Amino acid sequence: MTTRKQAKKTERRVKARPQLVGDVTYIEVPHPATSAMNKNRPVSTLIQAQLKHMHHAERARLPKAKRDGRDLGDFRTEGEAASYISAVTKVLHPHAQKRAKSKAAR
Amino acid sequence: MPPGLDALKHIVVLMMENRSFDHMLGSLKAVNPQIDGLAGTESNPDTNGNPVQVQPLAEFQSQLDPDPDHHFPSVDQQIFNGDQSNPRVPSMQGFVRNYYQQQQDVAHSQKIMYYFPQAKLPVLTGLATNFAVFNRWFASIPGPTICNRAFAHYGTSFGQVGMDIFYPKGKSIYERLEDAGRTAKLYYFDQASSTMEVVNLLQHQPQLFGTYDQFLADCQSGTLPDYSFIEPNYTDHDNDDGAQLASDQHPDHNVQQGEIFIASIYNAIRENANLWASTALLVVYDEHGGIFDHVPPPSCTPDGYSAGPADTGLNYTFAFDRLGVRVPAILISPWVPKGLIVGTDRVFEHASIPATVTKKFIGDYAAATPREKNAQTFLDLLSLDTMRTDSLYFNV
Repeated sequence: MTTRKQAKKTERRVKARPQLVGDVTYIEVPHPATSAMNKNRPVSTLIQAQLKHMHHAERARLPKAKRDGRDLGDFRTEGEAASYISAVTKVLHPHAQKRAKSKAAR
Repeated sequence: MPPGLDALKHIVVLMMENRSFDHMLGSLKAVNPQIDGLAGTESNPDTNGNPVQVQPLAEFQSQLDPDPDHHFPSVDQQIFNGDQSNPRVPSMQGFVRNYYQQQQDVAHSQKIMYYFPQAKLPVLTGLATNFAVFNRWFASIPGPTICNRAFAHYGTSFGQVGMDIFYPKGKSIYERLEDAGRTAKLYYFDQASSTMEVVNLLQHQPQLFGTYDQFLADCQSGTLPDYSFIEPNYTDHDNDDGAQLASDQHPDHNVQQGEIFIASIYNAIRENANLWASTALLVVYDEHGGIFDHVPPPSCTPDGYSAGPADTGLNYTFAFDRLGVRVPAILISPWVPKGLIVGTDRVFEHASIPATVTKKFIGDYAAATPREKNAQTFLDLLSLDTMRTDSLYFNV
């Protein structure tokens, strides 16, 4: 990033800062590199467990015809797991879905 | 009643993933020797018997890959270094040898001893040095995520030492609060990340849940419930807002993204002056994730359950009478003295969370679990007579 771009970015941040009362110390927080993102990372044992729990809940809550239908073994990456977890969560927690829709409409 | 406790209307708990105290905050001993971090001389033997010293070489990502094992048998090895005798003393000497099993690579196994220099974690170290840091907050079980998080929600894991689905025989802190006419919410990041409390709570009581966006909105409008529990993003994925990087800090997720997430929770509370004055925020990690810590976990009040060899994966029955490895924990409030270090004489664990919330918002609760009844609570740390006017703000 050029010095001018950095200065612009800092200026935008400072303008966006809320006006806080008192003796406030401002701390810069660096961001990860864009290469940090990896939807193809293999799922951890934690996500494997979450998938099992979601699968259990899906079977308990939905008739067979309305279930996702994919096998748990199909979800090998974080991106794949997230798509299934999202689908089941939409069923289990419809309130959040409504909020997402109203947010999208804004 | 101290004025800080009198003013307290909200407790917020943010539970991150899988990092030990020494790994994240160990470097702070150099700032303040009262913080029970690393002297720099702590070591573990590698598989050749050579001592491997701790080093400030932790990286944000790609270092602890594959994920260090943190299931019950591995944590047992990390703590006791393979000693199966009875009684036995926790030596904290088995971390390198345990990590070696992942790749059979001596050089790679040494990375389990790496820790972050304070300058690399401006959010966590900023909060720890400006508010209260706990020298003795341990995971509730020497095991993985699900059973440890259960202690934060129920004060017990109902005999579980692993990741299996469990069926509660008691009420969660959220149900207790609802029954008492109080308010509570579990905020998960988004639908694709969801919650680790699916079967027990999301399935049966979806009204208890919200999302991260809702948390931010509730902070802005001053409508936070009495008690909030926040879950980070557990996966790299896309949503309607674009690419979302995991923020839970679970290896091998990016630690900087977790810093940004912690900062965003803190900032959301700090930006609302009324909320800032009336809220205590606890940032804590669910377990150590297989990463080195030098403090042996102490014994504790038995849980009333036992887990046999089929569950522990070892040749003994676990009576829930020993805590897991130490984790980072920081309490943030303008009523906490600056730079407070909660001493080694006070031992906390995740059952301290429902114990504290129950004590504040409900009072006596006869059905509390044995661990909860014996757990330390932490609101006495809001001990100042006048509210602090100094604070932090993170530019994220």
